[in-house]
This record gives sequence, structure tokens and C-alpha cells, in this order.
Amino acid sequence: MIPTLLLSSAVIFFIIELPPGDYFESYIADLTAAGESVDQKRIDYLKQEYGFDRPVYERYFVWLTGMLQGDFGYSFEHERPVTEVVGGRLYLTILVSFVTIIVTWLIAFPIGIYSATHQYSWGDYGLTFVGLLGLATPNFLLALVMMYLANVWFGTSIGHLMDLKYLDQPMSWPKFWSIMEHLIIPVIVIGTSGTAAMIRRIRANLLDELEKQYVITAKAKGVPPRKALMKYPLRMSLNFFVAEIGSILPAIVSGAEIVAIVLSLETTGPLLIAALQSQDMYLAGSFLMFLAFLTVIGVLLSDIALAFLDPRIRLQGKASK
Amino acid sequence: MAITGLLRLSVAAAIGLSIVMSMSLNHALAGPPDEPRVVDLEGMGRTIGKKGGSLSILMSKPKDIRMMVIYSGARLVSYNDSFELAPDILKSVDVEENRIFTFHIRPGHKWSDGHAFTSEDFRYYWEDVANNSELSQGGLDNKLLVNGKGPKFEVIDELTVRYTWEEPNPLFLTSLAGARPLYVYKPAHFMKQFHPAHQEAEKLAAMVAEANVRNWVSLHTRRGRQYRPENPEMPTLQPWMNTTQPPSERFVFKRNPNFHRVDTNGTQLPYIDEIIMNMSSSSIIPAKTGGGESDLQARYIRFDNYAFLKKSSENHDYKVVLWQNGRGSQMTILPNMNVKDDAWRKVLQDVRVRRALSLGINRAEINEIIYFGLAREAGNSVLPSSPLYKDEHAFAYAEHDPDAANALLDEAGLGERNDDGFRLLPDGRVMEVTVESAGESTEETDVLQLIAEHWAELGIKLFTKPSQRDILRRRISNGETVMSVWFGLNRGLATAVMDPEELAPVSPLQGNWPTWGRYYETKGVAGEKPTLPEVTRLSELYKSWRSAKTEEEQAKIWDEMLTIFTDQVFTIGIVNGTLQPVVINTALQNVPEEGIWAFEPTAYFGHYLPDTFWLDR
Repeated sequence: MIPTLLLSSAVIFFIIELPPGDYFESYIADLTAAGESVDQKRIDYLKQEYGFDRPVYERYFVWLTGMLQGDFGYSFEHERPVTEVVGGRLYLTILVSFVTIIVTWLIAFPIGIYSATHQYSWGDYGLTFVGLLGLATPNFLLALVMMYLANVWFGTSIGHLMDLKYLDQPMSWPKFWSIMEHLIIPVIVIGTSGTAAMIRRIRANLLDELEKQYVITAKAKGVPPRKALMKYPLRMSLNFFVAEIGSILPAIVSGAEIVAIVLSLETTGPLLIAALQSQDMYLAGSFLMFLAFLTVIGVLLSDIALAFLDPRIRLQGKASK
Repeated sequence: MAITGLLRLSVAAAIGLSIVMSMSLNHALAGPPDEPRVVDLEGMGRTIGKKGGSLSILMSKPKDIRMMVIYSGARLVSYNDSFELAPDILKSVDVEENRIFTFHIRPGHKWSDGHAFTSEDFRYYWEDVANNSELSQGGLDNKLLVNGKGPKFEVIDELTVRYTWEEPNPLFLTSLAGARPLYVYKPAHFMKQFHPAHQEAEKLAAMVAEANVRNWVSLHTRRGRQYRPENPEMPTLQPWMNTTQPPSERFVFKRNPNFHRVDTNGTQLPYIDEIIMNMSSSSIIPAKTGGGESDLQARYIRFDNYAFLKKSSENHDYKVVLWQNGRGSQMTILPNMNVKDDAWRKVLQDVRVRRALSLGINRAEINEIIYFGLAREAGNSVLPSSPLYKDEHAFAYAEHDPDAANALLDEAGLGERNDDGFRLLPDGRVMEVTVESAGESTEETDVLQLIAEHWAELGIKLFTKPSQRDILRRRISNGETVMSVWFGLNRGLATAVMDPEELAPVSPLQGNWPTWGRYYETKGVAGEKPTLPEVTRLSELYKSWRSAKTEEEQAKIWDEMLTIFTDQVFTIGIVNGTLQPVVINTALQNVPEEGIWAFEPTAYFGHYLPDTFWLDR
């Protein structure tokens, strides 16, 4: 685990360093395009202030040791420590992702099971078609269309996770409702593609199990169909699902970046993209590092969960010892 | 809907109440200076308004908070309707020989926190900031230097200060009036707490530690930003003051109770109580504006959004007006006369080639196809509303004449052609030119596509290469671009007192002569001395403008510079006077239907006095 993280920190840092220029160059470019002029002296001063006059490897080690002490560096764009910048957006991001994942499961499970048990029926084809449609429609386009329709039909303000007046206000019922109202579109949009993929996977895994002999035996012995489905085949087919939990963890924190940008959501995704664009390297780097950390943790957790759930995996582990 | 309406109302009422309360508390102190600047609204064809209300605008990045300073438009001196400099924050300015400037502060003028605005604020900037070796490590701002020498600064009395240069400094007042102004004052009473000369070392060290910054310099800089009003505690002289601590997605600016302008009835400006700046991603700002979520919007809206905005205005309480873009050219092709490629460098230094390239463009077609025929087909020069405008500058080599262009190219020794009819460079390569763009809008690539067809008639192949702003910038300053696309002159509305720097090589970021620009910027340390006599002449003229004594002299220099610049086709402008949609809430009064949208000199809305805008609700 630790070597993985160290390696990813090095890769992240040097990839962010790769493109020519740095934050200050993009800053000047941004200002000059607006017709403003920037004093080169001022830029030199800033570079020195943020330690950009030192060599790359030195900055890498400063960043790395800082992170170990909980100091994730400084965001140039926001002129604030990275933890403050990201922290403020973390709650809403987790909310959006969490609701999306729950909704995805709630839709995908019944449909997946239905499709598997009623293979090649009209219901299977129909639901699969709808699911694939969701998978095939570009998310950002769907987001734009739904945003427009929601505005025209329901008067929902465009984009964001709440009416603008509630931004930076303490939580209250109207604010809560406003968030709920604005949550619908991102959840549907981000959820559609996930749902389709999930349906197909449940269907495929479940079909594999249903064809196995023990199921036939169970059915032949007169086990009620519902029990014959739930007791073993469904549980067996869930392994993939548990294995996936590992990748959910980073996804919860990063949110769906592109959709979030289109919808201008106050989540961490747009923050990361903007940081990469403006080469705000400590913000981008620390953020990516955080995601790498969560991925590693997630994989560990799902491995543990798998071993816990499935005796076969547990036994293999023992046998190899 | 009814419920949300009610809620909005009560929120607004609560905010209103708190303002009334805070105002009554400060009553003894608050108010305009004893001799305020009286804005004659009726004389300007506007209406006298009433106070109150809140205005929402949309911005995209935290850095955009500076737009409030630009829009607010309160400067020591500012441009009047005919773009002449007039005192604004200052009561008056005495100028002698363009080198001795005496500022008179308005008696009773107060910062937004109620503290008096006096010569001490100028002294503090001059002695404790500008001449502090740690705070101003690079020395004085270039605009304060004439031939490398700064002014002599004197405090005459509490309300009078004087700057004296040995030689004239025509740039001084102009810089003070800029959209991004040169600041020569700071709220001394507030800033002193961050300065070691005025604060005990221990206390300062504690503050530095608490703010988690490197040293007091960084603390002083961060707490005292004027162009980026991030610190809500920092007093200001602008019409609205920030009340929100970043980071935030929503900044609320409240009216400054001590603002120095009043209307003819004696009502203190600004009329509008608060301005709310909401942050959204720039790509959905047009959509949000169309949804009626901004009361005054032009930034992040483009002409291609016009149809959509106009259509949506049927369902929402706003109107869309079209302002004129204030740049000298919507986009300009910059032939790089300093490009590293030897063959191209020689070819592009030949004035006949540059003229031919310009003559070869069918501007009418571009205007018709891309700009609905609403733009002006002209080269990169000042606009007709500028007093420096001349037809011969604007239309120099701007008509479409492929025959003349081909003749010029033949004459320039580019007569050789390959089997496909394309011309050959003197070294035998085909004339294939890659025009690099910042890749930000499809407009650039669309226009270049059309120009590619036009230039094919001259036997020149054009390829477009969109990259990214900072990468393009870097390539330009390294002399790697053969041609690039950039905006035209920023000061399309120039008057004689405005800086003509864009017409001379002054910076390595100028895509047509980066190496010569670097020579000027580094004072001859790097780069190369201009070799073309016309460019040398431009440099000389610019230098003489910087030390001109009178406005007539400056006007003459501008005229000569424009003549050389356009006659030599140092930049190839396509069209100008394109239109900028401005979305205005129907309740918002006094926003002009016609205006110029530009950073300089109009500071976007700043020139049109947003403090006089009011809400008729």
C-alpha cells in the first residue's frame, strides 16, 4: 500500500509539472487576454514567495513531507490552504454521490434480477433498451437538456445545487428543499449511465449462477422460486458488486466532474478540473493524491468484505498458506 | 412559487432592515464629503433615482471579484463623457508642464469605515509601501518612472499632496484613471497594523503566525489588496464594499455610506444598496442569464448567445441591448517579423508581403458569414468614435484586391510556384503558414477557415493550430510562431492622453515583434534592437510620447504612430465594432442603451457610472 501511494505521489507531481509553464504563466496569460498588463517584477516576487525558484525535486519533497504532516499545500488560484478550499465542498459532493449511488442501486437491482430471470422476454428487451439508451446518451448533453426543461417547466434555477441566495447560508428548511429540488437532475444524469452498466452486470452474473446445477437441483426439489433465487444464486452473483465498492469510495469524493461542470455544481469535480487547467499544482496534486489514497483504502475494504462474505475466497487464502 | 416569493421578500426585508440599523448607528459619521462630486443625471439624459434594492450579477472565478473594482469606476481622476480626464475621488488636480501634479483631496472625505481620507494615506503608500525595500522589491512601478527616475513626493497639508518629476510624465494621470488603476494611496489607519514601522514586532509576529503566511510582507499584501477587494475589513473608497470573506460562491457588496458622489437632489450615490455576485461556471452563464438570474450581465456572454437571450427575454423581465466592442479589431493576425525561421522572417519583414496578406482577405465575406454583416470591415486601428480616428488609418490595405495582392507578392520575389499553384519561399519550401490561436473560441477558427480560402487565391496555404493561451504566449515570446491570432488594439477608443504602447515594440508578448519587444522591456539586456527603420521610428515616437509636455504634442505623436502602424500593416485586423449583448433587468434604470464594451478606457460598465443605476421596483 505505502509503496503504491509513494509511487502515485511521484507520478502525480511530475505529470502536473510536465506541461510547459506554471500557474503564474497561465495567470499572466489570463490577465493579458482581458487587456490588463502585469508587472514582471510582481510575478518574479510571487514565484519566489511560493518557492518556485527552487528545483522540481526539492519542491516535490517539500510537498510530500508536508502532506505527511497534514499540510496539503497552498492553492494559488484561491490563495488559501488546499484543505480549506476542498473541505468546503466535500459535504455537498458526498451528498450528491451518495444519493446517486443509492438511487442507482435501487433501480438497477430489481431490473437486473428481472432481466436475468426473464431472459429474452419483452420485459428484458424493453428494460435493457432503456438502460442502454441511458448509457449511450452523453451525460453532459442529457444534463443540458434536462436543465433547460426543468427551468422552462418547473422554474428551477439553472445549475448549482441550490438557489443562489442560499449559498453560504446556514442550513434551513427552505435551503434543504432547494437542495433537494436541484439534486434531482444531477442524480438522474449521473445515475443513468451507472444504472445501465449495473443492470447488465447483475444480469450477466446472475445468469451464470442460474444455469448452474445446484439451482436446477433446488428447483427440481421444489424449493419455492423466490427462495431458489434469493438464497444462493443472488448472493453468489454479488461478488462483483462488493468488489466494486472499492472504486466507489474515490468516486464519492470526486463526483462526476464533467456533469458537475456542465451543471455548475458546488462539488469538488469542477475544482479539480479548474486546478488542472490553471496549473494550480498543489491543489490538483493534493486532490489527486487524496483520490489515490481513497482508492487504495477502498480496494482494501472491498477485499476484506469479499473475504468476509464469500467463504470460498477466505478458504483459498488459507489454502495457499 | 408563492412560498419562495414570500421567502425572498422576507430575506430582502431582513437585509434591508440590517442596513437601516447599521446606517443609523453610523449616522453621526456617515455621509458624502463636504464638497461631493455632483453627478448631473438629467444633463446626461438619465433619470434621478431612488435608493434601495439589490442587484445580482454572475461571475465565474474567484479572481473575478476584481470586476467589482473595474465596474465601480471610482478613481482619483477618471474619464468624462468625451474621454478627457476629470477629477473624481480628488476634488481637483493642478498640473504644471505635465510634470508637477498637485492633488487636492475633498474635505470631509471618509473611507467606508468612517476614518478620514487624507494626505496621510498618500504618504503611507509613498514612504511605507512604494519605497519600502521589502514590500516593493522590484522598486517603483514603471508608470512612476521617467527615464528611470521617480518623482519627489511632498505633503503640502492635510488635504494636499504633490508629485514632482524632473521630466514630464504624461502616463501618470492616465494610469490613475485606468480600469486597473495605479494605486498611490492606501488606507493608512488600517494598513499600519500590518507594518513593522507602525506595529510592535511581537504583535506582528503573532498576526503572521495566525494568518499562516510567510512573513509580514505577505500579510501586508494579502490584507491590503485594493484591486482584488478580498478582505472585507479593508476600507474602500468605491461605491460598494465587499462583506464576504472568500472562499465563497456568493459575494455580497454593500453600499459605502461615505461615497463621494451625489445626484443633483443631494441624494448620496450609489442608489443600489447591495450587489450580489454569484459564481457559476462560465459555460452556463448565458443559460442562467437567459433564465433571468442576472440583473446586469455582459461578461461571459457572446454575440452568438444573442438569439437565445432575445427569445428568452419574452418570458423574463429583462431586455437585451447591443453595445459596441471597443477593441481596435475583433481579431488580428500577427505576422511575426522576429520568427526564428530565417526564410519566413525575411519574407514577413517585407512590407509588400504584409500588405498583400491584408489585401488578400475578403473582409466583407467574413463579416457577412460570421458577424451577420453587423461588424465594420477595417484594419486594426482606433474606432470612429475616437478623436484620433482617420479613414486612411482604418482602411489602409483593408479592401479585398487579390490582383494587387498577387502583384505585390510577385514583386517581393515570391513569384515561383509549385505544380499545385502554391508559391514557394526563397529557400524552396512551399508557402505554408500555420496560424496559431489561443483556442478559446470557435469564432477564431471559423474566421481563419475563411481566410484560408482567401489566401489560397494568393497561392498561400493556411493551417490553423489552436493551442492554449499560456502555451501560445510562451511560443510567441520564444519567437516560435510564424503567425498568431490575438485581439486587436485594446484602446480602440484612444485619446491623445492614453498610452500608445500597443503601437510600439514594448513587450515580448507582442506576437508581431516579440524579440524587439523584449529589447525594450529589458532595456537592451535581452532581445534584439529593431532593424526596420519604421519600427525604430515607432520606438522613438513612443519615447517622445512618454515625455510629451502637451496634449497637442501627444495627439501628433499618436497620429504619426497610427499612420506608420497601419501603413506598414504590422498587424492584420479583420473587422471591428462587433457587438456585445448586454442583458439588463427591466427594472434597472439608467443603463445606457448604447455603449462601448471595453476594458480600456471604459472599464466595461465603470465608465457609465453604475452607482447611478437604480431599481424601479
